[in-house]
Amino acid sequence: MNTVNAIFTRQMSALLRKEFLEAWRDRRALWMAICFSLLFPVLLAGSTIFFVKKHAEESTRLALLGGEQVPVLAQQLRSDSLEVVIVNEGEPRALLADGYDLVLQVAEGFVDGYRNFRAPKLYLYVDSSSTSAGRAERHLQERLGGLQQLIVSQRLSARGVAPQLLAPWQLQVRDVSTPSSRGALILAMVPGLLILTLFVASLATSVDTSAGERERLSLETLLLQPLPGWQLISAKMLAVASMGWLGALLAIAALVALMPLMPLAELGIQQATTVAGVITMGLLLLPLAMLVAVVQILLALRSQSFKDAQTQLSILQLAPVTLLMVLDMSRVELGEPLWQLMPLVGQQQWLKALLVGDSVSLPLVVAGSLVCLGLVGLFVALGARALRRESLLGAL
Amino acid sequence: MIRVESVDKQFAGRPVLDNLSFTVPDGQITALLGANGAGKTTCLRIITGLLRADAGRVLLGDIDVAQQPMAARRQLGVVGDREGLYERLTVAEYLTLFASVQGLAGKSLERALDAVREELELDALWLRRTRGFSQGERMKVSLARALVHRPRHLILDEPTRGLDVLAARLLRRTLSRLRAQGTTILFSSHVMSEVAELSDRVLVMAAGRIVGGGSPVELMRESGCDNLEDSFVTLAYGAAAGRPRQEEPA
Amino acid sequence: MADVQDGRTSSSCYLDGWGDALRCYRIAVGLDATAVELSVTVAPAVNDVGREPLYLLAGGPGQAASDLAPLLNAFRRINRERDIVMVDRRGAGHSAAFRCGFERDMPVDLQSFSRQLARCYLQQPQFAEALSSRQAVEDLELVRKTLAHERIALWGGSWGTRTALLYQQWYPDSLSALVLDAVAPIDTKVFLTATAAERAMQILERDCAGDAVCAGLGNWRGDLDQLLAGWNAEMAARFPDPVTGVPAAIPLPRWALANSIRAALYDPAAAAQLPYAIHQASRGNYLPLSGISGLFLNTADGMAMGLTFSVACAEELNRITAEDVVADSKGSFLGSAFYELFHSGCQGWPVTAKPYSVPESRAQPVLLISGEADPITPPYYAEQALAYLSRKQHLVVPGGGHINSRRGCIPELIARFLNAPESPLDQSCVAEIRRPPFMADAFGPALGGKLGGEPQGGGL
Repeated sequence: MNTVNAIFTRQMSALLRKEFLEAWRDRRALWMAICFSLLFPVLLAGSTIFFVKKHAEESTRLALLGGEQVPVLAQQLRSDSLEVVIVNEGEPRALLADGYDLVLQVAEGFVDGYRNFRAPKLYLYVDSSSTSAGRAERHLQERLGGLQQLIVSQRLSARGVAPQLLAPWQLQVRDVSTPSSRGALILAMVPGLLILTLFVASLATSVDTSAGERERLSLETLLLQPLPGWQLISAKMLAVASMGWLGALLAIAALVALMPLMPLAELGIQQATTVAGVITMGLLLLPLAMLVAVVQILLALRSQSFKDAQTQLSILQLAPVTLLMVLDMSRVELGEPLWQLMPLVGQQQWLKALLVGDSVSLPLVVAGSLVCLGLVGLFVALGARALRRESLLGAL
Repeated sequence: MIRVESVDKQFAGRPVLDNLSFTVPDGQITALLGANGAGKTTCLRIITGLLRADAGRVLLGDIDVAQQPMAARRQLGVVGDREGLYERLTVAEYLTLFASVQGLAGKSLERALDAVREELELDALWLRRTRGFSQGERMKVSLARALVHRPRHLILDEPTRGLDVLAARLLRRTLSRLRAQGTTILFSSHVMSEVAELSDRVLVMAAGRIVGGGSPVELMRESGCDNLEDSFVTLAYGAAAGRPRQEEPA
Repeated sequence: MADVQDGRTSSSCYLDGWGDALRCYRIAVGLDATAVELSVTVAPAVNDVGREPLYLLAGGPGQAASDLAPLLNAFRRINRERDIVMVDRRGAGHSAAFRCGFERDMPVDLQSFSRQLARCYLQQPQFAEALSSRQAVEDLELVRKTLAHERIALWGGSWGTRTALLYQQWYPDSLSALVLDAVAPIDTKVFLTATAAERAMQILERDCAGDAVCAGLGNWRGDLDQLLAGWNAEMAARFPDPVTGVPAAIPLPRWALANSIRAALYDPAAAAQLPYAIHQASRGNYLPLSGISGLFLNTADGMAMGLTFSVACAEELNRITAEDVVADSKGSFLGSAFYELFHSGCQGWPVTAKPYSVPESRAQPVLLISGEADPITPPYYAEQALAYLSRKQHLVVPGGGHINSRRGCIPELIARFLNAPESPLDQSCVAEIRRPPFMADAFGPALGGKLGGEPQGGGL
């Protein structure tokens, strides 16, 4: 019995060594995995930094057309974020094209109308197709709203009315989010992208080790060895999973490393990913990496050729992201324990929680991972059967 | 001893092997001679267990290939037609893998590797990755892989295809030595000259059956021809001519 | 939802004026009659990078730090990397507020006010006696230790600056830096407010005269003096209530009118309406003046009167002499109207005097903030009475009223000061903070017309 065990492990480890050497010596596949893994954290960090910088630094240029009649209005509107330029003449459209974000036109006889309580008109010209339109309008509304409040307050006081009469109640908003959970807004897509990384990073290796081996006619040699099919599939699955897992780990590491560079605090977001959380993320992705690997290998073995396998798997990698998006949009309560037993959904939910520093239920993670591993076992068995298919050899 | 007993095989309803039976004796080199499409490769694949026979059975010694595939594979060395190596592994890694998979370890593994390294003159290739190897170099590595666990049966599918003179000589030498050691050797070919030169015994195959057998000399005598090629044509196409649906040889 | 932070149990809670969840602690202090569970509220740093927390000290005395929660909006940047801690001092807010039944309105009838206070004192004389700056500072120090804060920064507003300065005297080693907005130095008798209010009024006059529209209101300052001098029962009975619009049940006494005009000076937006309102009142229309008083209806809301009088009577009124009052009131529109309220209150609030010792020199970096036209803690308090502080910077907001920490670039300067307390601040942006536009007529501010000689720039 010991000899059998010894041979079994010796055989398996020789096989694993072969698959890992082949996978990790494939420079092209390795670079593809590394590049894609680094791509999305870098993009995410870059876009956040850019967004906040733009948000914080950009100011609005407002042309106050006919502003010479209302110098006080112009003065009161000015702020760090709102540059007000009094323009005597001009056509709003042309002014907007001329570098102004907004044109506020003061109607003829505005001052008289204002003094006589006739609610004279202000015309705001805006190009809503411009990317800065929303921000510019917000900047103006902040100032204009403040001035309007001041005037209303003065008018009420002038009539002996306490301004709080205008406020029959006070609405106090209480935000139950935590600084870390607010990160979910920005980090929402990260779990999906991490899972996508698994797929993309392992794609080249899975095609190479299955359809590739078959096409290079080396699969046959392997099938002639005294090895059960499940061992062959398992060894391949582990090698492929190692590549996908590496990609996902790299992406997590890059993301966590880049987080301090992201101006999260300025958005009121706490960087809450803990070291334990990062380790947990890595661990809980392992069963999924194995599942993805074995599914990719199965599909690639079924395909007609190397090219065909690449095409099929490229389509397959869109599936999880699409699925997760659809589930997200359908507002299904994915937090329900039953959903968390489902591969992909479970990992997505756990990653989401861990990214914002929440805890995950250990029993659920264990149960979900076991479901995942169960499926891995099932697919390995299917793969072993597939290896016995005569059509696999492409003979005749 | 390899025994093929009444084997039938169809692909998508088309018969490829038709009640095929023959024996390959120990300590001899047997050639399976046939045109392309005669069923040689299918026959060899059934013997190695890669394909399953629809009917009949194959015995390696006492082992039924279909019943005990693992045991059969430990008794077998196979060199496939145009088989691929692992381009990202060195020869040493490649051979270690297959030796280990066949259950060798420790000292016996080292001895087995040293033996094939010497026999097949692999010193210069030993630490090189197999990418870019010539056909002859690939053959040497494949043969080393097939022999590393000292199988009692060696099966080669078109082993001389694309070999240069030196490689072909090495192959011949190696097969002769193995024969001397009592190994059962079966190879397929459609090249008369190498069959004449290498084999002790020839089985002529056409349309999925054995249509003639014996030593090259016996075959010539049987067919009444003075060379092996003519004997083969007579045996193969003469026999096939009587059949209702004849396949055009490629 | 309770969780354990720094070994203390905290719960998630909210304060009005700030939408995000906070951590609330309860810390028991005092014994027997003075035992209170202190309410400590922490706005946790978004990213805890180990910076010293900032403790907010409220004014009054009698206000609660938890009422300062709206300040968190302005201190968002500070809160990114620092915990902001609000400790309701004993007798205020959620720490057993000592209100004496005064929930909303400031009293109009001095006598009944004093009677109510005296009754309140008799109910809890020990508690009233114990409430003091010393007690507040000791409690604060206990909180600091309990929350395991090694050193802290303090922000004090108004009377909170006094508490902060005393904390600095007694626990200098616990302190890293001080931000004092509307400074009440230890040696300054801040309950003498007539001179300060008069000065604020004069700055308002100056600024109004520089404004083309406001200048058009004529000699409103003369009108004010006449109005107060000639205030009589008939006028008082006609003064409308800003909420109901009809004359108030109790006619408005002169001292209360003067006080409500003084109160308008706290806030530049209200002060900007004073010239017009006084101009109208002198012509018999009291509505605008009534409307302005309506702006301050809720100011007494958070003020715990019992606490206010315990501290004021023992630490301020005790050292004010009759001569002081005369000197302070002389030539002011307010006279002794503000002082009288406390003086009569302290008659029924017999706590023992708790004088301070002479302040010792201190080297912690201090940022002082004053409103140029603050009617109660004017800039010269900070300039004259803090010689014992060796490292201080002073921001003076032009035309500014009482408390300026939320205005213009001040929050940004506070954040910069806390991060580098030793480096001098670039104060140029303070000059850009301006008064809101003066009220010109019943329609509000004049939007047209000529601008005054003031610099262009933002700040409502």
